[in-house]
Amino acid sequence: MAYEQITSHLKNIVGRSNVLTSDEDCNVYSYDGTSNWIHKPDLVVFPTETRHVEAVLKLANEHRIPVTPRGGGTNVSGGSVPIRGGIALVMTRMNKILSIDGANLSARAQAGVVLMDLQVALAQKKLFFPPDPQSFFGATLGGVINENSGGPVCLKYGVTKQYMLGLQAVLPTGRIVEFGGSTVKNVVGYDLVSLLTGSEGTLAVVTEAVLRLLPMPPSRKTIVALFDDLPKSGATVGRILDQGTVPAKIELLDNWVVKSINRIAKMGLPEDAAAMLMFECDGTDEVVAHDSRQVIEICRKEGAVHIIEARDQAEAQLYWKARSAGFAAIFGAAHTVLSEDVCVPRTRMAEFIERVVAICRRAGLEVTVIGHAGDGNLHPSVMTDARDPAHYQKAQRAVEEIIEAAVEFGGVLSGEHGIGLEKQKFMRRTQDPIFIELMKKIKGIFDPNGILNPGKIWEDRSC
Amino acid sequence: MPASPENNRLENIRKFQADVEQCMKCGFCGYFCPIYREEHDEKGLARGKDQLIRFALEGRQDLTKGFYAAIDNCLLCKTCVQYCPAKTRIDHAVTAARADYVAEKGLPLSKRFVFRHVLPNRWLFGAALRFASWFQFVLPRRDGKFRHLPQFLTALGAGRAVPDIAPRFLRKLLPERTPARGTPTHRVGFFSGCATEYMFPEIGQNIVSLLQDLGCEVVFDRRQGCCGAPVLLSGDFATARTMAAKNVDAFRDYDYIVTGCATCSSGLREYPTYLSRTEEERQRFEQFAAKVKDFNALVIDVLSADVKRFTVKPEYQGKTVTWHDPCHLARHQDIRSQPREILRAVDGIRFVEMQDADRCCGLGGSFSITHYDVSKKIADHKANAVSASRADIIATACPGCMIQLRDALSRHKLDVEVVHIGQLFKVAPTPSANP
Ligand SMILES: Cc1cc2nc3c(=O)[nH]c(=O)nc-3n(C[C@H](O)[C@H](O)[C@H](O)COP(=O)(O)OP(=O)(O)OC[C@H]3O[C@@H](n4cnc5c(N)ncnc54)[C@H](O)[C@@H]3O)c2cc1C
Ligand code: SF4
Ligand code: SF4
Repeated sequence: MAYEQITSHLKNIVGRSNVLTSDEDCNVYSYDGTSNWIHKPDLVVFPTETRHVEAVLKLANEHRIPVTPRGGGTNVSGGSVPIRGGIALVMTRMNKILSIDGANLSARAQAGVVLMDLQVALAQKKLFFPPDPQSFFGATLGGVINENSGGPVCLKYGVTKQYMLGLQAVLPTGRIVEFGGSTVKNVVGYDLVSLLTGSEGTLAVVTEAVLRLLPMPPSRKTIVALFDDLPKSGATVGRILDQGTVPAKIELLDNWVVKSINRIAKMGLPEDAAAMLMFECDGTDEVVAHDSRQVIEICRKEGAVHIIEARDQAEAQLYWKARSAGFAAIFGAAHTVLSEDVCVPRTRMAEFIERVVAICRRAGLEVTVIGHAGDGNLHPSVMTDARDPAHYQKAQRAVEEIIEAAVEFGGVLSGEHGIGLEKQKFMRRTQDPIFIELMKKIKGIFDPNGILNPGKIWEDRSC
Repeated sequence: MPASPENNRLENIRKFQADVEQCMKCGFCGYFCPIYREEHDEKGLARGKDQLIRFALEGRQDLTKGFYAAIDNCLLCKTCVQYCPAKTRIDHAVTAARADYVAEKGLPLSKRFVFRHVLPNRWLFGAALRFASWFQFVLPRRDGKFRHLPQFLTALGAGRAVPDIAPRFLRKLLPERTPARGTPTHRVGFFSGCATEYMFPEIGQNIVSLLQDLGCEVVFDRRQGCCGAPVLLSGDFATARTMAAKNVDAFRDYDYIVTGCATCSSGLREYPTYLSRTEEERQRFEQFAAKVKDFNALVIDVLSADVKRFTVKPEYQGKTVTWHDPCHLARHQDIRSQPREILRAVDGIRFVEMQDADRCCGLGGSFSITHYDVSKKIADHKANAVSASRADIIATACPGCMIQLRDALSRHKLDVEVVHIGQLFKVAPTPSANP
């Protein structure tokens, strides 16, 4: 069918204002949060109801048109870049919170709800959905589910997978399916909800989700500890968890970030601190008091040079804001920043960071490492300039070495950002071929014509 | 078609290239951009506009009408800048891109006549408005309070409820020189701005009278013109330069230039950023911009006035007042505490904060005309916040916001009065012990 006919069909399905075709429209859906992947869709479609998704996928499947689902476009692996053109299926206008059920500790919402909007609505009822990717201002529920996201609190609370009860999704063939249910216990057959969670939009389009919630912890406390030596901070994390205390968050920042926090937020932190750990303990007042005492005691014993206890939430917010600002400063520090997302066993974190620093020093590259120390998920960020081919190549080589080191240390190449396009070559290099073979077969069952988010994860991107 | 760097193409975007490239595409702005919150389309988002401009630089995006429509769809409210972790100056990127579009393709017809001929000419502008006001009786009335302006004055707000044209313009009501009451401490130039001049002359009268009581000699120099903000921010830098030259010239001899219009003070202060072509020009604009003060900032920061001397006018006694932060005050000039200091200190009114007081009202200059539907939806949030605050009065410091707030409140049938903060008070005579 000709392009014009397809467009007019689509307009009949979702309405005129929900189909965009101009050059500008296609350009703004050609990228996501990644810096180097750009490919335009041929047109942009905004469904506003599940049956729109159903009809769009039927049409696309019939005419073999690639469809790339997209939420907030904040992923950093090229996952929502329509690498083979076709339709960008933008879920942001399906953004209703359908129900919040305090008694059952669950909520049902459409896929395009922005995570922060969901959190605000839940907080009003003293409830909370723990997954906290730090992109919560832009990320949508559908994206969070499809990337199986998790942020700092996953140390204590786990990632998205642990909070999924049910899903409404549309198969690429245009069939609406309800997966899972609304109960915590459910062993009826294969756990397809888990299969879809983290599938990066390659198996089905999620339209609604039923989420497991927790009561909002009534109390929280932030503690900041600075160390003059990186391995010491690593050992401290291990010791704290070993002693049976699980803070909600343990974040690690290196000297580069400490300095930039000082510069931006004028916090007066010791400039020569090699590492900074930030803890947040949460729970009831008693638990928080106990846990923070433990954290402080162990930090002191392990040789922290400076410990700050936030007196209240307002002060705590200052530290967490400073952390975000320090993190953001990384991206402003160079024209191109190659930020990785490796995950290594907690006990080998310090050793791994030293390796990263050595790799970059040898190559004459500036690098900074921050991460979610509680779970060994680190983001080494190498500063370079894509406009300078020699430098850029050097940086890319260093990144490869960093990823290889992570795997050598018993880690994985992506902790939370997914494979998408960005990590494909490492995926093939590091995984057992049978794993890829199985994924290929699963994909074939869900999507016989290969129209949904083609070219991602294990699949060849050119076609 | 790739951009050809050998000529002057995209010279403004190039000037702000570092700002354009500052965006790291994190998408945080999605939660804050008022337009995106209504439309949920990346094209209206800070990130989307920034990327289109970047694509223009890289030769991936032509300067099409659609491109202009996309960059025109921005309130320049700077909400994204406030929350952007990388502090990306979308306002710079968008304004520069508008200028390059206008330089290459010319102004859209709807803006051309008013910007090039009416706004720069005080007399013509006044005459046009006067002419329009004669015809007000044939125009539809809404809620008995507001009338529509004829189409050719779109730049001011046709298509929406706008206030009546004042029966007498400020020029007729205010002398050129108003002496200080008591010992004069400062000599300030008063910049009225178009809306105060033609629609709300009482704001001008009140401000001048307050300043007079606070020891200022106030000069309302007749050579001044429109601040040029609507023209400058639409990208017509050539016309904006002639307007800027006129104002810089008119206010050469004052320590301070005070205005009650947030858009004007911020517009006047933008001259060096956008209009200077040489270092000499930049310095001249900088010197001028440094003298420009919003009314609240002048009262608190410069005059260090004892605000306890302000007395609430009888008609506002006992009322509950809330404050709306104009974007051009709060985010463009970082003026937030000063008006609150005044409202809190004055006896006779009760000050309450409304939710999200600094949320954009959705006016955005000509945005509210070209994008009235979205503009209205954005204003609805404001109306709801005002309603929840239970205030009787909403005070602000921008006639533009006042027009938008009145429109929104009347649509919501809320009986809340919109006033300029300067209209609330009088100043008690200085105690004789402390002249
Ligand atoms: C500054 C920054 C910080 C981040 N921090 C974290 C972090 O702490 N933890 C973390 O895990 N991630 C993080 N991320 C990555 C990213 O934000 C998350 O993966 C996020 O959940 C993506 O959501 P989104 O709505 O933007 O999805 P998108 O980027 O639009 O899409 C992500 C993937 O999901 C698919 N998809 C989206 N919606 C649907 C749907 N309804 N149905 C089917 N498929 C769909 C897309 O095709 C794509 O493959 C961060 C990103 C940035 C820019
Ligand atoms: S403008 Fe700022 S907040 Fe928005 S995507 Fe760019 S860097 Fe992020
Ligand atoms: S200036 Fe305002 S309207 Fe424009 S992109 Fe930023 S937040 Fe959106």
